[in-house]
Formats: sequence, structure tokens, C-alpha cells
Amino acid sequence: MQTLTLNHYLLASGLLFSLGFAGVMLRRNIITIFMCLELMLNAANLSLVAFSRFHVGTDGLPNYNAQVLVFFIITVAAAEVAVGLAVIVALYRARQTTHVEDLQSLKF
Amino acid sequence: MFAPITLEILVLVLGFALLLAESFSNAPSKRALPKIALFVLAWVFAFSFFTAPAPDTVEPGSFWNFYSASPISMMFKRIALLTTMGVLVMSLDYESTLAKFIPSSRPGAGTGEFYILPLFTCAGLMLMASATDLVMAFAALELVTISFYVQVAYMRSNSASLEAGIKYLILGALSTGFFVYGLTWVFGLTGETHFDKVALKLAALENSDTAILFALLLVLVGLGFKVAAVPFQSWVPDVYQGAPTPVTAFLSVGSKAAGFLLLLRVLEPFLGVSSIQPKVLAVLGTMAGATLIYGNLAALPQNNLKRLLAYSSIGHAGYLLLAVASVGATVTGFGAVGTTIGFYLFAYLLMTVLGFLVLTAVSTQTKGEEIQHFNGLSKRSPFLAFALLVAMSSLAGVPLTAGFYGKFLVFAHAVNAQLWVLVGLGVVTVGAGFYYYLRVVAAMYWYEPTDTAPIHVSSLSKAVMALLVVCIFVFGVNPRPILSALQGAPAKVAAAH
Repeated sequence: MQTLTLNHYLLASGLLFSLGFAGVMLRRNIITIFMCLELMLNAANLSLVAFSRFHVGTDGLPNYNAQVLVFFIITVAAAEVAVGLAVIVALYRARQTTHVEDLQSLKF
Repeated sequence: MFAPITLEILVLVLGFALLLAESFSNAPSKRALPKIALFVLAWVFAFSFFTAPAPDTVEPGSFWNFYSASPISMMFKRIALLTTMGVLVMSLDYESTLAKFIPSSRPGAGTGEFYILPLFTCAGLMLMASATDLVMAFAALELVTISFYVQVAYMRSNSASLEAGIKYLILGALSTGFFVYGLTWVFGLTGETHFDKVALKLAALENSDTAILFALLLVLVGLGFKVAAVPFQSWVPDVYQGAPTPVTAFLSVGSKAAGFLLLLRVLEPFLGVSSIQPKVLAVLGTMAGATLIYGNLAALPQNNLKRLLAYSSIGHAGYLLLAVASVGATVTGFGAVGTTIGFYLFAYLLMTVLGFLVLTAVSTQTKGEEIQHFNGLSKRSPFLAFALLVAMSSLAGVPLTAGFYGKFLVFAHAVNAQLWVLVGLGVVTVGAGFYYYLRVVAAMYWYEPTDTAPIHVSSLSKAVMALLVVCIFVFGVNPRPILSALQGAPAKVAAAH
């Protein structure tokens, strides 16, 4: 039975980040894209906590700055969702669509 | 004497107070809100000259671990305050267009927040100017970005504004994702979040060049989106064109100033690692060259003035990146480049706000933002035409304007660093810039107007325009006051090295 090391956490977070990025690039529905963006932020959270937990200082305590940063990221993600969904709802009301292909009126 | 943080607190309190006042008032017109905000911001600006300096020794755990009050930070705070004031003046002119695109039962309802959100953006910009810790920098950056999401999509029955909002939202959030993931790797490599401590730890690391470059790449992608550097510039033209005009001005000055300050702060630790320094500078140089070419060449065929200014904003990001890329070989390093970037952004603030003020006034009356709507402006409103002439000449870099001196400083750095290819590119793109900026001037002075009615401008906007015109000439002829404000007492800048 192998114990979990920092590398396992980093691998999982790297996968989450890549999945999120791939979703943003490939999916065509704005709400799905938005979910993928949140996935990218959560990947950062996971690796921050892992780094903090495995970097133990001389006093035997992890550096808590990173864990505080995680709370900030969670808050920012929540604010972003609140604003983002409001904008998407407004778009749906005006155009009856949530697909990126339909957003092409701004071209010269 | 005030503690410097008082300035941010004042701006935030003002924002919250106005939000409350707006929700409890029955007044149909919201025009009092930006006027109160302008009045208070002018006082905050005045206070910024009477702040107490930072203490010499910083106790661990104290607030000064997250916050700096160096001269360059204070100057960026002033840039943020002045930009916000300019944007508020513009919003007053923009009221009629704004109200048209906000569905509401009463005329004017729902426009109040449009004047209040810039205050929160301003507070975020000011905090970011002072951030010396990754956590602080991130929180401030997001305060700026999220308040911009709302402002860009503010005209919610205008499909262009909504589309711009969605594009800005998705690409902004994407860049945040990259930036944050980069920050986690910076933390993972060093175990620190303070920029100075990160620099010390990074310089001491051995055999981890790949990991450092990976972290830097992620951070650069994130910040590349914010400052609109090629290849992360695709959102800029659409968002600038679709957003309400005052917000476009705010985006192009505020968001750029914030992005470049953060870029300088974040790059400083990385450039201290001697083994990767040449690679980093090569990447920055390539980005600068590509941004210069793309921004200036793509601006050539534009007929919409807002879109043209968007491409020109990419071009200006290229000149600023050129200054950043020439940091390695300069003797004084970041201090000197920081001063150059500070001056360039200050000059950019003057001319961009002036340009957008005229654009707002003209487009409100002619109902259009195409260059043809400016035909014969010199016969309709000679003052507006002259103000736009000054703004365009300064953006192009005509001597004796502030814009010229900014470009001159950038090229001086690049020549010192012997980046001959980039200097050549810069000179060619300045030539292209003359062509597309002066096209607007030609339309105003040489073509016949289709409508001879003079353009109405409020006396407040007129006064601000006159002030900006004077500033562009004064600081173009004598840039010393700004430069010395940026350098401050030289000991403080040198202490970081």
C-alpha cells in the first residue's frame, strides 16, 4: 500500500486544470465553459493546499498563507459565478441563446 | 499625515455610502452620484500628497508585509484616481445613451450603479499598486476584474454590450485561472507568498529551471491576457467596441496600468534567477515585437474609432512590453524601467481619457462611432476638434507632447539594452501609428461635415478637456515633475535590490 505523496496531489490538480482548459477550448455552451473555468480555479486550490501541507517549516507548521489564499480564491470564484450567471441570463433574455457561435455581431 | 491605506478606505467607504444612498433615494436623476464621487475623489487625490511614509523596519505579521507605500505605488494610486475621475466625467455625458439600453419602468432607474462601480475598480487598482504579497495582489486584481465584468455588460438590452461582457467574462476568468495556477507553483517552489522572500528563495533554488519556467509561463499567460499582449489579445477589439464608452476608456487605462505594475512586480523575482534570465528576456522581447506589429498594423484598416483605439491600445502595450524586455541590460534595472512605465502610463492616461471624452461627446450627438462621424468636426466644434487633434498627436508621438516623451524613454531603454531588431520594429510601427491616428485628424479638418449643428458639451467636460490638453503639453515639454514623483527618495527603490 503506497502512501499519498505531493506528486499525487499535483498530478490530480494538473489533470483538473487540463480538463478545465480543454473544456473551455472545446465546449460551445457558455454555461459549460463557465463550469470548466471554475474547475481550473479548483485545480489551483487543490495544489495550494497540497503544497502548503507538504512544505512544513522549521517550527513543524505548514505555511498558512497559501491556505488563506485558497479562501480568497473560493470567494473570488463565488463572486465570479454570481456576476457571470447574471450576465449569461441577461444574454439569454436578449438573444435566446447560450452558444458561443451566436456571439458574432462584433466583427468588422 | 495619513496612513497611505486611508486613501483606499476612503474610496471604498465612498462606494458603499453611494450604493446605500442610491438604494434609499427616490430622486429620478442619478446625476448627483458621480458629482459627489468626483468631489470626494478630488479630495482623496489631494490627500495622497500628505501620506506618511512606510516605517523603516517592518515587524513580522504587521500590515506592512502586504503593503508598500513606495513613490511608484503612490504614483500608480494617483493614476488610478485620475482615471476614475475622468471616467466619471465621461459617464455624465454618456447618460442619455446608457439610459436607452437599460430596460426600466422609470426613466433613469437602474443607472445608478454605473457611476458607483468605477469606485470599487479604483479601490482595487489602488490596492494592487501597493500589493507586495501574492495574496493581496490576487485579491486586488480580482476586485478590479469582477467589477469590470459588470461594467462592460452594463447596457443589458444592447446586444453588443452583452456580447462584449460575455467575451470579457470568459477570457478574464480564463486568465485568472492561469494566473492563480501559476501563483500556486510559485508558492510550491518557494513556500513563500511575499514578493521579496519569493525572490530570495527563487535565486537560491538549484536544478529547478524547468519548474521555475513552468510557473513563469503560467503567470505570463495570465498577465498577458490582462495587458493585451499578443498572442492573448483576441478579446480586446470586441470588448472595447461593445462596452459602454466610459468603461472602454477605463479598461484601456486602468486595466493596463494594473497589469503592467503587477507584471513588473511578478517578473522581478524571476529575473533574479540568472540561469533563466536570458530565456525570459527572449520571450518578453518576442511578445513585445509581436504585440507592436499586430496592434499597429491591425489598426490601419479600422473605420470604427473605438475599435481603432482598441488596436492602438494593443500597440501601446507593445511599447510598454518593449520597456519591460529591455530591463536586463540596464544598469539600474527595475527602478529605471518602473519609472519609464509609470511615465508612459501617466501620459497614456492623459491622452486616452481626452480622446474618449471627445468620442463620448461626439458619438452621443451623432449616434455613431465611425471615423466618418467626425468629418468636418473642426467646422462644427473647433474646440472638440482641437482636443482630439492633441490626443491623437500625443498617441502618435508628435514631439512636444507627453506621448512623445514616453516613447522616447522606452526607446532609450531599448537602445541601452541593444535590442536593435525591436528598436527597428518600434520605429516602423510608430510610422504606421502616424498614419491611422492622423486619418482621424484628416477627417476632422479636411472633409466637409454632413451636419453643421455644433456639438453640445457640458462645461465640466470642457474644463476637463482643456486641463488635459494643457497637461499633455506641459508634461511633454517638462516631464521632470512626474519623473521625480515616480523616483521619490531614491533610497526606497534601491532598498529592494
